[in-house]
Amino acid sequence: MHGILSPSASSLTAPSGREIARVALIAAVGFGLYGLTVGWWRSPVMGAYVAVKMPLLIALTLAFNGLLNGLLGMLLGSGLGFRQSLHALLSAFAISGVILGSVAPVTFFLAVNVPAPDSPQAASAHSGYLLAHVLLIGLAGVTGVVRLGKLLESYCSTKAVARMTLAAWLAGNAFLGMQFSWILRPFFGTPKLEVAFLRDEPMQGSFVEAVWGSLVRVGGGLEPVVYFFITGAVALVAFIFIQNQKTNKKPRP
Amino acid sequence: MNQEPNNPIPANPATPPPLAPPPEPIPDKPGMRDLFEALLRRPAELARHSACDEGSTMLRFALIAVVSILVYGFVLGTFAYGKQLWAAPLKLGGGLLFAGLICFPSFYIFSSLAGSRASASKMAALLGGMLALAGLLLLGFAPALWIFAQGTASFGFMGCLAIASWLIALLFAFKFLRTAMGETGASQKAPLVVWYVIFLLVTLQLSTSLRPILGTSDKLLTTEKKFFLQHWGETMGETLGETKEAKKEAELSSDPTQNPFVPQR
Repeated sequence: MHGILSPSASSLTAPSGREIARVALIAAVGFGLYGLTVGWWRSPVMGAYVAVKMPLLIALTLAFNGLLNGLLGMLLGSGLGFRQSLHALLSAFAISGVILGSVAPVTFFLAVNVPAPDSPQAASAHSGYLLAHVLLIGLAGVTGVVRLGKLLESYCSTKAVARMTLAAWLAGNAFLGMQFSWILRPFFGTPKLEVAFLRDEPMQGSFVEAVWGSLVRVGGGLEPVVYFFITGAVALVAFIFIQNQKTNKKPRP
Repeated sequence: MNQEPNNPIPANPATPPPLAPPPEPIPDKPGMRDLFEALLRRPAELARHSACDEGSTMLRFALIAVVSILVYGFVLGTFAYGKQLWAAPLKLGGGLLFAGLICFPSFYIFSSLAGSRASASKMAALLGGMLALAGLLLLGFAPALWIFAQGTASFGFMGCLAIASWLIALLFAFKFLRTAMGETGASQKAPLVVWYVIFLLVTLQLSTSLRPILGTSDKLLTTEKKFFLQHWGETMGETLGETKEAKKEAELSSDPTQNPFVPQR
């Protein structure tokens, strides 16, 4: 387990198929267990669905972005090939999975103790439940990313290369992962809606468009305001990267 | 301190040595896989390699580029289906080759201005390498784009995704070209940057000249001339199956005061 939580750079040099399968299995079990407790509040059937869908979300994201992750790993000079990129990313997911799996008993306790979905307090219970899980998933995700960053720093020739690779992977996988989470919804199960593995026409629409619509509504229909803030955010990220590259250009001794 | 046996970097207690193994040299007669690896990992070594002086290398790069862009075009074609399944890949593949051909003379001149001493055949091979690399990256984006193509009907969203993936692919392709041209003696950045802008504008304009690539039309190509920014601005808010003309018709039929065929009271 220590090897999973603190993967060493040497594990990336030539990962075997068996090693990759082992890490994938650990990630799947962790996310599956946690997923079971996420859906349990709505109904045990929903829990079983989410136990399947959470590992599926990660598998689909990595499968559809596998080629891109490998290409970016090579192009950014990390020295990681396709198999190594997959192993590194799976390691990060395994860390998050282990963390979430470890809190699954607690979240199960939470699921059986909050007001039921058919109770008068269902709406507030759903909000609180959602918030608690978002915090936990966020915490596990950040830990996985930080550990992945350290893993890359110990493997790559410079810190700048490691950070660029990490950022490129994160951007690509987060963008596609959001869409897959949209396709595979529901995860928490809205109290008023029927329990289902997928919503009707799951491929219809996209996460980004839904967020965009909300942003425009929040901005009072002022699309230029939204454009301005998004452009500003992109420019800020680009600036940070350029500064980062400038300060980390020298390879380590 | 654990040290890999073949890692020549000395141990440093403050910062552990990187573990990425040194890449193997490119063989004298590189195969497709070797070229693929060299494009991604060792652009400088590839530029110095004698294989780049051979016409066959340029053709192999062109093949990688065309096959990759055909697959990418097919994925974009799944946004509208129908005849776009074959029209979009054909237009993108043809467009990429066309852009490469019309930009090659300026590439030769601007590279020479930058200080490159490479022969025309070597420059053609490196340009082919650049297009192959861009194509490979587009191929990497293709699975993700397919997912979005199945979910959205918005031209603006799908167009932004397609353009963003092309810009990212070109960014890496230009980086490859800069490294490769540096090996041929090109020391000045400005002439190459000018050429990058020319190539970028050509490819962006082709996205409009070869329209429709995402949407559908009775005609395979349109004769109406338009600047790409104008075209993007006009289609940004449209959705598949609801073009501006269709919207106008719908508005006319829903608003009786605007419809000349509805008797006014």
